[in-house]
Amino acid sequence: MLEIRNLRVSYGHDTILDGIDLELSSGETLAIIGESGTGKTTLGMSIMRLTEGKIRGNINFDGKDLLTLSEEEMRRIRWNRMAMVFQNVNNVLNPVHSVLEQVAEPMIEHGLKSKSEAHERASELLERFGLSQDRFSAYPHQLSGGEQQRVLLAMALANDPELLILDEPLSSLDVATKSELVNLLRMSNGRRARLVVTHDLDTASKLADRLAVLYGGRIVEIGNAQDVLQYPRHPYTRALIRAYPNMTMVKDLQGIKGRMTRPVNGCPFHPRCTQVIDICRSKLPQLAWSHGREIACHRGGIITLLSVENVSKSFGRINAVDSVTLRIKAGETLALVGQSGSGKTTLAKTIIGLYLPSGGTVYFDGVKVVTHGKDFYRKVQMIFQNPGESLSHRLSVLESVMEPLEIQGVGTKEERITKAIKTVGEVELPQTEDFLQKYPHQLSGGEMQRVAIARALVLDPALLIADEPTAFLDASVEAKILKLLLNLQEERGLSMLYITHNIAVARKVSDRIAVMLDGRIIEDAPSSEIVVAPKQTYTRRLLASAPSLHWFEADNAGQDSI
Amino acid sequence: MHIDLKKEIRESSPGKAGMAILLLVIVLAILAPVIGRYDPIQQSTTTLLPPSQCHWLGTNHVGQDIWSQLLYGARTSLFVGFSVGILGLLFSILFGISSALIGGLYDRVMMRIVDALIAIPMVIVVILVAAYIKPSLFILIFLLSVLSWQGGARVIRAQALSLKERGHVNASRTFGASQFYIAWHHIIPDLAPILLVEFIYGVRRAVFMEAGLAFLGIGDPMVVSWGTMMHDALRFSYLDVWRWWLVPAGVALSLTIIGLAFISHAAESALDPRLRDEAVA
Repeated sequence: MLEIRNLRVSYGHDTILDGIDLELSSGETLAIIGESGTGKTTLGMSIMRLTEGKIRGNINFDGKDLLTLSEEEMRRIRWNRMAMVFQNVNNVLNPVHSVLEQVAEPMIEHGLKSKSEAHERASELLERFGLSQDRFSAYPHQLSGGEQQRVLLAMALANDPELLILDEPLSSLDVATKSELVNLLRMSNGRRARLVVTHDLDTASKLADRLAVLYGGRIVEIGNAQDVLQYPRHPYTRALIRAYPNMTMVKDLQGIKGRMTRPVNGCPFHPRCTQVIDICRSKLPQLAWSHGREIACHRGGIITLLSVENVSKSFGRINAVDSVTLRIKAGETLALVGQSGSGKTTLAKTIIGLYLPSGGTVYFDGVKVVTHGKDFYRKVQMIFQNPGESLSHRLSVLESVMEPLEIQGVGTKEERITKAIKTVGEVELPQTEDFLQKYPHQLSGGEMQRVAIARALVLDPALLIADEPTAFLDASVEAKILKLLLNLQEERGLSMLYITHNIAVARKVSDRIAVMLDGRIIEDAPSSEIVVAPKQTYTRRLLASAPSLHWFEADNAGQDSI
Repeated sequence: MHIDLKKEIRESSPGKAGMAILLLVIVLAILAPVIGRYDPIQQSTTTLLPPSQCHWLGTNHVGQDIWSQLLYGARTSLFVGFSVGILGLLFSILFGISSALIGGLYDRVMMRIVDALIAIPMVIVVILVAAYIKPSLFILIFLLSVLSWQGGARVIRAQALSLKERGHVNASRTFGASQFYIAWHHIIPDLAPILLVEFIYGVRRAVFMEAGLAFLGIGDPMVVSWGTMMHDALRFSYLDVWRWWLVPAGVALSLTIIGLAFISHAAESALDPRLRDEAVA
């Protein structure tokens, strides 16, 4: 019904939207999501032809190209066959007319109904959107924001348009009003096509069938709404979801590094993307079908960085790790949870190459890891449990952090020193000469672990294996280290394999949790799923025994299984 | 293990005594041309003289000055001792650490070789071989080195095996470090105290072996050595000359060995917590 082809909107030299292709059929709801400034509103306005910018391309509405219509023809369609609810409530309603009159106005103006019929229909609509009768004759300034929004929705639907464009319809409302209006909107759909422009993922997920993610004026990912939200494939989509406070995810909120910049050569997202390769900087990726969704990314979306296939490790007759299969995507944290002796550390040491696997294969970035050479260790680094052990007692802070650079033969001595000092700063340690010359026994446990983290990061690895990095630290220092790791993930797009016996820690830092028992992975699912709906009895037991402050008697599913 | 070995040795009384003795011997050896006054090889017609103003310890059966022979003998002893100490230690490090790091079949073969060498009585082998090839000083040094690394290698291997599982060694591996890098930057520095003990032990043994071989008359007769002096002096034991010929050489040798023994004793007690004073208290 609505078909947009190669839409390009520009204000002067600034291109706001570029190369937009969209289809919307009747009865369908498409949500456009993205940060502010990505051009979402401009898209809605362009369809209505209300933007002052220069529009190029085709917008076919019911077989007619809206861009070729005269302003007169357009006026007949606008508010009649297509309507829009605007973002900024205050400017839209006329302050000198009562709300009932305003809702009835489009019907009268388009000559569809007589005045009395129009008023009847208007009250019906206002009632449907939950405005109480005694408010019908009120003036806009007498209404609350929620009530004004209800009026606007009623107004937009007055002429029963075939296309409804909702621009941030509910963003400024409180959650209770919001969920009420969402329900009303869901019921009032019928044959109508809807375009919901929002940065609110909750609204999008509740209203939309399909979801398009807009970044820098381009669509980067489009597909089934639930699918996209549950398994985001474009790095930007995932970043948006991670930054959105919600009850589904258990991991701490993370921002997106950097700010949106325009114009950009190549992929619009590449300055903030964490899996950039050369082509991303030079060539614009086109939307392409892959696995049931369209995605614009040279790397085909978020890549699988580490893939462990049926890896086993036995010591004599003991199978410490028994045919384990794991996958870690770029920028993702997988927590490996299990009690001591379950084979977590053995698995980590097998992946990093300190143990030779007895069977199975490890793939890194799609390439089979045959020998763990210097190249491999540039990409994969490990933080060990005991920082006092993992730092050599005869190396100063600076020497320790420089060691990987020396081994890898990176740069000149001066460059190595500069790089090491910079990394020491990144892990929030003092960069003073005095501190750099300290030896491990002069540092606290937290400082030592930070030095160890700096040492692991100095080669700019893509994957960090953290083996109980906070096991030897007290809770407040542990919290700081965890925050640091999350920030580093945001900044560097670091993937992490986080090993812990504490599922309470795992849920805070990880996207997915894999539960390990007796050398096997018994459950591997998104963290929220593991925490809320564990499938295995053992997982429930882990959850039940996880630290808790017992403020209230939790109706814990795990407790009855003990 | 934070042990400042030098400090430990300086602060123990046997350590101090040992250092003093060794220092004295070294100084005398260095100053030999100055205070010796005679060329120790130079023969003269004035044989078997008793001590006098000219010859402090008299002369021997071919008219050489015994005092300067004693001084130059210290040079030989120390030269052989330290050379064998260093060379033997290098062999020990090479084979001990490589066994520990490489492991597997190589390790097993190396350790069986070490077992075999330890089982063979080294003194007998050295005497037999030396008697057969009549070695020069350098060949003697090489011979002693080749036959004296096995004990050290075993100790070093054992220590390196435990060191290589240390966190910082594993960490270094995860930066892509080679075995050589790990040995050089992580294992050898941590082994330093043990290496020092092994070294002093090697020196002591070599000093003793050199003197012993020379005493048996197997060494190079042209080399001035305490062992040769005792060997020669013994033939004239029916005369009074033993008092200024045999005894000074024997005392010098004994002192040197005792000095080295004191140092190794001090170093060993510093390394072994059970031997340390505070552990007893």
